[in-house]
Amino acid sequence: MEYVYSVLVMIGIYTIMASSFNLIIGFGGLISIAHPIFFALSAYASALVNLHWGVPIPLAILLGTLFAAAMSVMLSLPSLRISGDYLLIASMGFQLGFVEVIKNVDFAGGAGGLTGIASIYSGPSRSPAFVVTTLTIAATVVSVVHWLTHGEYGRAIRAMRDDEECFASLGRNPMAIKITIFAVGSALAGLAGALYAHYFQFLSPEQFGITQSALILTMVVVGGMGSTWGPVVGALLLTALPQAITFLNLPPSVMAPLQGMLYTGLVLLFLFVRPAGLVAKRLGQ
Amino acid sequence: MSHTAPRRAWLRGLAFAAAAAAFGTAAPAAAQQTLKFGLAMPLTGSQSSYGKDQVKAAEWAVADINAKGGVNGKKLEMILLDTQADPTVGISAVNRLINVDKVPVFVTAWSAVVKAVAPIANREKVLELSIGANAPEISKLGDYVYTAFPLADVDVTAVADYTFKTLGKKRVAIMYINNDTGVEAARLYRTVFEKAGGQIVAFEAYDPKATDYTGALLKVRAANPEMIHLHGLVADMPLVIAQMRQLGIGQRVTTYAAGYNPQMVEKAGKGAEGLIVTSLAPNEKQNPNVGPYLERWKKAENRIPNGLPYTQYLHDAPYLVAALYSHLEKNKLPASGENMRKALLAVRTFDLPLTGKLTFNEDHTVRKPVNLVTVDNGQFVPLATVE
Repeated sequence: MEYVYSVLVMIGIYTIMASSFNLIIGFGGLISIAHPIFFALSAYASALVNLHWGVPIPLAILLGTLFAAAMSVMLSLPSLRISGDYLLIASMGFQLGFVEVIKNVDFAGGAGGLTGIASIYSGPSRSPAFVVTTLTIAATVVSVVHWLTHGEYGRAIRAMRDDEECFASLGRNPMAIKITIFAVGSALAGLAGALYAHYFQFLSPEQFGITQSALILTMVVVGGMGSTWGPVVGALLLTALPQAITFLNLPPSVMAPLQGMLYTGLVLLFLFVRPAGLVAKRLGQ
Repeated sequence: MSHTAPRRAWLRGLAFAAAAAAFGTAAPAAAQQTLKFGLAMPLTGSQSSYGKDQVKAAEWAVADINAKGGVNGKKLEMILLDTQADPTVGISAVNRLINVDKVPVFVTAWSAVVKAVAPIANREKVLELSIGANAPEISKLGDYVYTAFPLADVDVTAVADYTFKTLGKKRVAIMYINNDTGVEAARLYRTVFEKAGGQIVAFEAYDPKATDYTGALLKVRAANPEMIHLHGLVADMPLVIAQMRQLGIGQRVTTYAAGYNPQMVEKAGKGAEGLIVTSLAPNEKQNPNVGPYLERWKKAENRIPNGLPYTQYLHDAPYLVAALYSHLEKNKLPASGENMRKALLAVRTFDLPLTGKLTFNEDHTVRKPVNLVTVDNGQFVPLATVE
């Protein structure tokens, strides 16, 4: 059962990641791939303030989340003046740069990773409690993203995404809206990261590279970019599928190419067969 | 359509979950009356060429043990899962080994994975045997984590001491890969060498993804060391040595167990001459079983394994597990992780076919004599043994 719990926690964490990434890339149209670094920054911040200063875990998670939001401004303020390909490159640099910083900071464990992180819950009901917490937070995050993108504010986000100049000509400030959704999206990624840190109790800088970005992007693309439920389906599928494959007990010679091609294959398949993702977005959204 | 799409997607997800559950229940039913243990190694990804050879050695050992009647007539069953040498994938694999396959003991390697799964082993009270990873921190990961492989302090200390005391070199430059393998080991070398009275004249890191090392190498050249200690991975070390020679840096190079690999000589060519590497496992002359083991590789794969000493340790892992099970059977104890740990502490010294005597210390580590091997005319030849 413990195994199922850990898969459910991962599904919850990836749902938060994919939903918040969808807010930035799908609804906001901001092509940034630096999402995992906010996950990492918050995970490290939360683990470290608890480890070194004894800050209670719930408060540490909150601090980590706020830290991720604050750090997102560091990327968004200078780089949101550009968009499209340039933003993509800037975000990649930001991500790789911070991965290097983490690798070289001794008090964060350096390249060897950070061990000895405290767990939120302990005792026999640790994992079920974690499942409930993570899934509740994931559901809340999905609702928040839905609420943000479907009211008046949602219309403003889409207007900004579809025609920035027109949007500005109406007297609205596209920069403010970009920075806000970037901060909200990154804070939510940070929340997922802090939960991850206190569940798995180990962080290593290598986990937060481009591969992680590709995974989350795949979740959003396969699920359906710009739809509320798409990232949820994507997170569920891409977390459960690699697990299900291990139960086929295939020989390594088959397993290796199969796992290697899983993400690439899915993306290619969906681009051809269902370009809008599993959950196609409704007309008029 | 927009209303049915999400439902269809959920149904697909459920179908996968159902398939997973079906496979999950089928596997243990077929495997009753066996003595299980887990093996979580990289079978895919960049480290898989090492992982696969180590796994093959372990598979041979399991087959040999079972061919001789197993443990008390019960067969040993090894459940193998892929970690990709990635902590997140490793966590899933070990969670599955412990909770689905219900193993009381598992073997794993690669420092990041060993560290990442340690909280699970401690929480679930399952014995984790780290075999192959050498980060010094591994000895402090908790009650249920033991390493059956000497940690970096053993061979790095031996190399540093040998360089200072036997070779009489006083000025050494260190080049290391900037990841968990390189950083801790490089610091350790510096501490040991400086304590002995030597001087570290350059301490240069390079990025794990780099292919050009000129910047760091020029600093090493400017520092004019008498010898260079290189601490990287098999993928990058031959390149570093080749570039070193191109830049006219001709000093002798020392490294550690990962350098004991045919690829070092193949890729670095003449540049590898004089290279000193370590081996933490006995060679053909020191252990009569090693010769036939190498023959077996040549017959089955027509080559010697990648990272020979590591495969020797992995080959012996099932024997170690068999000895633990044998202790439990003798004392009629149920096969739980707690009892596995007790068995390890009760037996403590194991006599293993390819690596010889292995004694677990109080601090969760093991000590072994270090064989220094050097490259002479493109061949690895024994140089010295440091106890």
